[in-house]
Amino acid sequence: MCCHGLPVGGSPSSPGCFVPLIQKTGGLLLTAERGGRMNVGTAHSEVNPNTRVMNSRGIWLSYVLAIGLLHVVLLSIPFVSVPVVWTLTNLIHNMGMYIFLHTVKGTPFETPDQGKARLLTHWEQMDYGVQFTASRKFLTITPIVLYFLTSFYTKYDQIHFILNTVSLMSVLIPKLPQLHGVRIFGINKY
Amino acid sequence: MLRVPSRIGKRTHVRGCRRQAPAYHLILEGILILWIIRLLFSKTYKLQERSDLTVKEELIEEWQPEPLVPPVPKDHPALNYNIVSGPPSHKIVVNGKECINFASFNFLGLLDNPRVKAAALASLKKYGVGTCGPRGFYGTFDVHLDLEDRLAKFMKTEEAIIYSYGFATIASAIPAYSKRGDIVFVDRAACFAIQKGLQASRSDIKLFKHNDMADLERLLKEQEIEDQKNPRKARVTRRFIVVEGLYMNTGTICPLPELVKLKYKYKARIFLEESLSFGVLGEHGRGVTEHYGINIDDIDLISANMENALASIGGFCCGRSFVIDHQRLSGQGYCFSASLPPLLAAAAIEALNIMEENPGIFAVLKEKCRQIHKALQGISGLKVVGESFSPAFHLQLEESTGSREQDVRLLQEIVDQCMNKNIALTQARYLEKEEKCLPPPSIRVVVTVEQTEEELVRAASTIKEVAQVVLL
Repeated sequence: MCCHGLPVGGSPSSPGCFVPLIQKTGGLLLTAERGGRMNVGTAHSEVNPNTRVMNSRGIWLSYVLAIGLLHVVLLSIPFVSVPVVWTLTNLIHNMGMYIFLHTVKGTPFETPDQGKARLLTHWEQMDYGVQFTASRKFLTITPIVLYFLTSFYTKYDQIHFILNTVSLMSVLIPKLPQLHGVRIFGINKY
Repeated sequence: MLRVPSRIGKRTHVRGCRRQAPAYHLILEGILILWIIRLLFSKTYKLQERSDLTVKEELIEEWQPEPLVPPVPKDHPALNYNIVSGPPSHKIVVNGKECINFASFNFLGLLDNPRVKAAALASLKKYGVGTCGPRGFYGTFDVHLDLEDRLAKFMKTEEAIIYSYGFATIASAIPAYSKRGDIVFVDRAACFAIQKGLQASRSDIKLFKHNDMADLERLLKEQEIEDQKNPRKARVTRRFIVVEGLYMNTGTICPLPELVKLKYKYKARIFLEESLSFGVLGEHGRGVTEHYGINIDDIDLISANMENALASIGGFCCGRSFVIDHQRLSGQGYCFSASLPPLLAAAAIEALNIMEENPGIFAVLKEKCRQIHKALQGISGLKVVGESFSPAFHLQLEESTGSREQDVRLLQEIVDQCMNKNIALTQARYLEKEEKCLPPPSIRVVVTVEQTEEELVRAASTIKEVAQVVLL
């Protein structure tokens, strides 16, 4: 199938902040261009470190390993069957992702920009609001892959399907660029 | 590679609990796979560190830069300043002529005080001149901690913090607490340092008429109505009221008791800027709170600069511990500027000692202010603006000529002629394009304890004569 590139028009950046210069790189996700420098313990000019944390070296691998660890821990609970463990992994992972990426707002530290990101979730802060960056794609694909694995191991059972699909939708829909900065019914607005 | 369920299209073998994937599930999986493929193969956007601007030759060609320094008239006051030789103490030598100083904010006469000078010299011999570092990088000396301790004890608050530059004190304190989305109610006559602090804070600024508590209450009520419409937003919005004790631009005092009442009624926090009233008002010089007899814990933050009454450099903020401690990491002027030179800190400590030993000087200063205030009433063409106990007050033209430049020129004429008669006065200067509410041009008269009664009388009569001549 033919895949078109993304609409050229820049990024829907969060209101008020500068539109960063974006460079479009063709090709696959897994090129060596991601994996940014870690600014831990150095003097840097990054105003809001939340924007770059998911680009740090090794964080993707750590993330996948953490999911694996969660799964192994759940597997070690006795008297719980494998399909239930997979569903639990999927549900807990999606719940954690929803809370940390789409519910908690602002930064745990003070930023020099006088609180520009105070009302933004971490997903909205990532890469200063530029959409379809490498980290955003990674964080979108991971729950989908986890969902595939879960639905295979639960043998497409109906109840598991309903639970896993609802959980997946709750994690995929907030990631759509159309929902950047949107607060439905004013929930979590301030 | 992604694991695609391999049962699509194949016949199913019913083996135990193995089921064929239901159709809706397969459709959903298909959509998700399409989504993944689209994500993988579409262009990945990246944040660029360097600014790789696309070069447009024509734009560069036709761009005409503005001049770095705009054309300035030759007689701009910043280009023709009076040169002072020697200390700007009671008798000041301006352009070679010795005058009585009615322009420097040396309220308590501590600038030339031998005890203060001796303390500064001793500190100079011990520590050298500067600190060469901010407070976090080996710039904290025992004199700094000592001065903070003494100021906290003097003002009867829990803690105090020192800044190395008076202007930067309030300009760093306000943005440390007030961020985007917060609301600050500030007086129109606030000084330039407060205005810069408010600008740096990126908060919503609401100006109320100078010393008009009814106007402030109206604004607070409007804000309350807004808050009731949106209580969730109101819960995360901080509200501040920023006032000065004695206003530099008008010489008037803020009505602090009413402000404290409004504070508790509408749940806002008060930041009090006491640069002119510290060491002036109150029985022991503790400022406006002592003058009115208000409990100092009612004021959330008191900020003052030490460049006026204390005759040092720098500024301080004092208040509750948990309020002041926040500035140790968030006060930009504290964290990122070199700390106060130890000799100035020692001078300030000695000045505090003198203030604590002779609390009688505040009453003397008040009496002198009252005297000259009364003596300057009734000059034709000039009106006195300011409280009778304010040591820094203004003389404004009763009727403006219509253009600010003309007014400034008239007042400058008065100042020059007074200088010829050995009275050193100055006009109040502003950055006219940068001020939010530009005050009218005026001559600022400063009273100090060192001026004798005869000198005050002479000054008053000199100003009267000169004004009559110049303003006809």
